[in-house]
Amino acid sequence: MQRRTEITSQTIADKEFWRWSEYHRVITGKKWRSTDILTAGVDVGSVGSKAAVMINGEAYAWAITRTGSNSPDSATKVLDWALKDTGLKVGDLKFIVGTGYGRVNVPMANKAITEIACHGKGANYIWGPTVRTVLDVGGQDIKAIRIDQTGKVCSFLMNDKCAAGTGRGMEVFADLLKIPIEQIGEISLKVEEEPPPVSCTCVAFAKTEAMGLLRKGWSKEKVLAAYTRAMAIRMANLINRVGLERELVITGGQSKNIGIVRRIEKVLEIKCLPMPRWQDTGLDPMIAGALGAALFAKSLYEKAQKG
Amino acid sequence: MTIEKPERKYTPEISAKEIQELRKTIRSSSEKVIADNIARMKKADPKRPYSMLYFDEIADLFGKRQQEIEAEKAKGKKVIGYTCLFAPTELILAADAIPVRVNSGWFDAAKLGDRVVPVEVCPVLRSTIGAKMIELSPFLEQSDALISILTCDGMTKFGDIMSDYKPVWRMSVPRIKDESHSMRFWYDEIKLIKNQIEKFTGNKITKGKLKEAILETQRATRAFRRLQELRKGSPVITGRDAMLVNQTYLWDDKKRWTEKVEALCKELENRAQRHDWVCPPDTPRVMLTGTPMFWPDSWKLPNLVEEANPKGIIVADELCSGERILNDPVGVDEWTIDDMLNAIGQRHLMASTCPCFTSEDGNQDRLNWLLNKIKENNVQGVIYYVIRGCILYAMEYTRIKKALDKINIPVYYLDTEYTREDVGQMKTRVEAFLEMLSVQVDI
Amino acid sequence: MDLGTQKVKAVVLKDNMVVGRGQAYSGFDPTSAAKAAVNASLKQANAQLTDVACFVATGSSMELAPYAKSTVSMMGADAKAATYRFPKARTIIDVGAEEARAVKCDERGVMTDFVVNERCAAGAGTFIEAMARALEVKLEEMGPLSLKAERASQINASCVIFGESDVVSLIHRQEPKAEIARAIFDAMADRISSMVHRLGVNPEVILVGGVAKDPGFVSSLNRKLSVKVLVPEYPDFNGALGAALTAVNRCKGGQK
Repeated sequence: MQRRTEITSQTIADKEFWRWSEYHRVITGKKWRSTDILTAGVDVGSVGSKAAVMINGEAYAWAITRTGSNSPDSATKVLDWALKDTGLKVGDLKFIVGTGYGRVNVPMANKAITEIACHGKGANYIWGPTVRTVLDVGGQDIKAIRIDQTGKVCSFLMNDKCAAGTGRGMEVFADLLKIPIEQIGEISLKVEEEPPPVSCTCVAFAKTEAMGLLRKGWSKEKVLAAYTRAMAIRMANLINRVGLERELVITGGQSKNIGIVRRIEKVLEIKCLPMPRWQDTGLDPMIAGALGAALFAKSLYEKAQKG
Repeated sequence: MTIEKPERKYTPEISAKEIQELRKTIRSSSEKVIADNIARMKKADPKRPYSMLYFDEIADLFGKRQQEIEAEKAKGKKVIGYTCLFAPTELILAADAIPVRVNSGWFDAAKLGDRVVPVEVCPVLRSTIGAKMIELSPFLEQSDALISILTCDGMTKFGDIMSDYKPVWRMSVPRIKDESHSMRFWYDEIKLIKNQIEKFTGNKITKGKLKEAILETQRATRAFRRLQELRKGSPVITGRDAMLVNQTYLWDDKKRWTEKVEALCKELENRAQRHDWVCPPDTPRVMLTGTPMFWPDSWKLPNLVEEANPKGIIVADELCSGERILNDPVGVDEWTIDDMLNAIGQRHLMASTCPCFTSEDGNQDRLNWLLNKIKENNVQGVIYYVIRGCILYAMEYTRIKKALDKINIPVYYLDTEYTREDVGQMKTRVEAFLEMLSVQVDI
Repeated sequence: MDLGTQKVKAVVLKDNMVVGRGQAYSGFDPTSAAKAAVNASLKQANAQLTDVACFVATGSSMELAPYAKSTVSMMGADAKAATYRFPKARTIIDVGAEEARAVKCDERGVMTDFVVNERCAAGAGTFIEAMARALEVKLEEMGPLSLKAERASQINASCVIFGESDVVSLIHRQEPKAEIARAIFDAMADRISSMVHRLGVNPEVILVGGVAKDPGFVSSLNRKLSVKVLVPEYPDFNGALGAALTAVNRCKGGQK
């Protein structure tokens, strides 16, 4: 049984369409002892900060918040929140690994590891040893990662010089079209016929592009579909360039955008491994990086103990 | 001998005031970068060889070497600049002139070049053009003439643009080097440039002088190779230090450079004997290949690699700004003028691994060179470095990748620009690559 | 009328003098916005729609303008209006919400050359807005804030999104907001001055467009161009003014 705490309210969602839910969760079935190897991973992304706490390499508690600019201590904040209701304090953790864009800003971390390695590891943890290709769409990054059966990175590719398709890009879009970001995926699928993808994906010109299409009489859903399709094609291209090998999974915020997921599957002619039902019992793919970091924390701790 | 000032075909007129202001700003920022780079290299190696101090001094582009050349010019010596390693520097030396490579390593100057050519053009060229516009580069300014080698499209038009400022002598490079008529053609180009140099300097290139110049270059090559040998084993010198030593050859006094490198090698050999490694021997060993990296601003990537978390060490490179400079000696059979000219031609053309070449087996020379280096220097990963706009290196990537995939050597394609803006992004990619190579985060 | 991507601006001239100004947000319906802007400007002029002899439209959405029977390019409008206000104007820099352009003209206000920054929103007003949001500073406070800084931080100016995250990380590193604000203006000014140099800088240089209202940007641009730019009153109405001046010539001989 899990407990959930959400801090968004419907009224905020009305005004700020780009705002997604921040929350923290503890798996209450689990208990920890001081002899356990308690570790944590803190993933400070450019848009979202995530922290995951593990007991002997098993997920126990986690939290996701927005990396604001008025919280230079977003690492501390998100870790504290993950520990809330666990009875644990930061000092009880044996080893902490920081990752993500802001990994150098995780003051309590014993080590920093890139989010590429952490997402590989995290994907392996969430979905198992059959995963070979991971697409992580973060706040400002898109990464395609090839891993082996242990989650170790074999090769990777990242988006270069263009933020189209990243989380921030989608947020801008949601706000523009006045659609709550958590519904952006569903709504993009509400079209009878799939429109052609937009030719200009630049986020900065999104407004002009969108306005042009709306003036042509396109519905909001159609505009959204056209954009989502263009983004999905970009992401599929990145996956192809790194080399697609089954199984494929998607992590990061965009994993929850069903519009993106379905379209990527269509282009690549492959089905991604299904997302675990994170709202109820499963692990949130958004914390894949933090989970990977917490796992690295465990093995680094064990290695240090061996001397 | 008077040189006519050619009419400006490409470049705009800029007020002397603006030139001075821009030069002052960029030069002072460059001096900071040079000092910062050296400080970081010192920090990376607390027991840095004493001999490196000499190279630090020569690395100051606005310092000692500039003054020396100035003094030589006052005595009547000519300075001949060049942009590619195809330029037969032995001929320049034999004519008692000073050869200097003049490609620009200043990021800020690239923006000025934008006033003459669009931003899609090779940043190295844009930067060199920009540097010339504000008279920033000591060696470019001191050059009395330029040898422009027509390797790629950019280089071809670059010669045109530079002729707004200086006499430019062009040398065509045959794009297919292994045809018999290619070497004949190149030999003719060498002869032509020899005449050009003689006329310009007023000095005849005699058999004796040419032999002396070749011998000097051979000595330099030996010292150079001695240094690269020392990078094959566990690390006794940081990649950045070695790269700096290699690159200073391009503007330093050749004889003195050779002596100082020999002294450095002695220190490093002692270090190797003592097993006094500059970093743990299991540090991921990286090779760089691709577009040239010119001092000082292009130390951007090497700094990242060797200061990353986890750290890497650059044990080799396939760069025409690095290990390609002096790797191959001029191999002379008989010391006749013809034979010597032939040998010079051979060395500069046939040994080149530049991607401007093509042939039935493609640029096999480059691939072989890379594979060899990987084996000899125990390279664990390759960073394929391309400056945006360089079509030749970009297009050879997939071939190199396929070959390296076969031997399980990870390659990472890293493209960038003449800018400091993307350091943050590059850091993530470089660190992720080094993590892949490193054994430390193994579970 | 100047139908820009963000706002529609309207200017009314009577006997070659400005008697009314009006503006409205373009939103998703620039035509209605244009009507509102025109109405506002006419109200100020104490005039009716029927009093107007001629309408000319300009701006990125000029084809959607109501009333106007003809249009003029933004570059042409800029040149006309700038020389009207500054007879010695020879180079005009117009920085709008999504586009920036530089125009060269002669003493008659006839455009002789121009250059536009294409495919790069990091050289226009949207960039400042996005950065202001990331900095959590009000748009109108950005300029004064930046003027307080002695130096500029280092930021990525090639993309709005990457620039944003650079700003976020600079704040995490506790860089003073004033220096970040200045960096933002410097980056934009850099881009724009590069573009202007391709045209050649002929004094006098006039800066117009919405962004010209920002003292932070003006200061940065002066520094990067090594020339002091002149900014007219109501610089964001320059395009509309130019269109109105064009209307004067086009409708000569028409009804009063």
